[in-house]
Amino acid sequence: MCSVCGFPAAAGHWTETGGASPTDRLRSRYRRAQVLKSVLRDFGLTAHDDGLVPGVQIGTMSGSVSIARDLDEVWCTVERMLGQPIDPLDARFIGQGDG
Amino acid sequence: MRLTLLGGFLGSGKTTWLRHQLHAGVFPDAYVVVNEAADTPVDDALLSRASTIEVLAGGCACCEARGELVALLRRLCDLRSRTASDSARLEHVVLETSGLADPAEILDAIRSDPVLVHHVFVSETVVCVDALHGLAQLVEEPLGRRQAEAANRLVITKLDEAPSASIGRLVATLRSINPDAVIEGAVKGSPVSAPTAAGEDAVALPQLDGSAAGPIFPTRLSLDDQIDWTAFGVWLSALLHARGNDVMRVKGVVRTSAGRLLLQSVRKVVQSPEILPPQDDRDDDTIVVIGRGYRAEDLRRSLERFAGVKQREQGSIFEGVS
Repeated sequence: MCSVCGFPAAAGHWTETGGASPTDRLRSRYRRAQVLKSVLRDFGLTAHDDGLVPGVQIGTMSGSVSIARDLDEVWCTVERMLGQPIDPLDARFIGQGDG
Repeated sequence: MRLTLLGGFLGSGKTTWLRHQLHAGVFPDAYVVVNEAADTPVDDALLSRASTIEVLAGGCACCEARGELVALLRRLCDLRSRTASDSARLEHVVLETSGLADPAEILDAIRSDPVLVHHVFVSETVVCVDALHGLAQLVEEPLGRRQAEAANRLVITKLDEAPSASIGRLVATLRSINPDAVIEGAVKGSPVSAPTAAGEDAVALPQLDGSAAGPIFPTRLSLDDQIDWTAFGVWLSALLHARGNDVMRVKGVVRTSAGRLLLQSVRKVVQSPEILPPQDDRDDDTIVVIGRGYRAEDLRRSLERFAGVKQREQGSIFEGVS
């Protein structure tokens, strides 16, 4: 458990299997934050991962921040903040409507 | 520790099939767990061939007795961990669920338990389907349908008792629900040749409990250099979060820095990917998504737009869209 934020040692999320070395895992975390950031930007949310604090920090424009442990929790947090889930099959992602 | 899930509707022949498999030595040294919804266990008396057998009675393992199932599996993991790795130890558990259990719920129970997720690998989900009543259960019972959707292997039992035309219809319907599963046949538990659809058409299944209408179809997605494993994981987790009830199954092999990963999911539950031995295979980096309620090309476009962020560049994925 992290003594600062009280995060319990969680069971590994399935997406975390892809890294063989600590370097790969860190790179994968940065990459995950990068993809999340670009997806969430259009919804007025931010994603931040500094590689030290466990999980991803999801923030709103008004400054509230939640730490999400893994991707499942990220999408639950985003759903709570937006009031609805982000659907990858939404018109904005499949290039229909006004995008 | 491997776990084989055996499911199927009430009276679909689960115990008979398991009894024959144990007799034929298919699961040597397996620890058999039988879950019964009723309070009085009967099945354990039938399954005397098993080397070790445990009965979880008085509740279905996917809802009421979920805690008991988790506790039992934890105890088995504990037992295994206490045995030295060079001596014979428990490697395989066969769980026969009650006829009222949804296999996906049990997978979820295992997946969400912090201890079991590291110890238990669900190697196979076998679902028995009754040749006589299976079709009616698929049409009328949401549960019967969910069980068939969750299977890797569908065993059609009581083949000798049903006319071949209705078996053909059943096979075609099962194929339309779960195009991915292996279909086998059995008579009184012993394997017979797999039945075929024999030209019969699938029965149109009425919509149940508000699930999205439309046929279930497989879509192949190939991952190119642009979309790496991490970006794909972000996309798939978002898709399963939003559309978990429509996306029935995801399966495929992806190359990552850790090796080739075998990815499998049933509804919202994704198994921890298994690392496969290296092998040159053209099917790598191809994912099959089975589901309904969307169009195949939308899925591809969504993956490109959602996860196709260039590495080491902060380019917006929406550039060139609006």
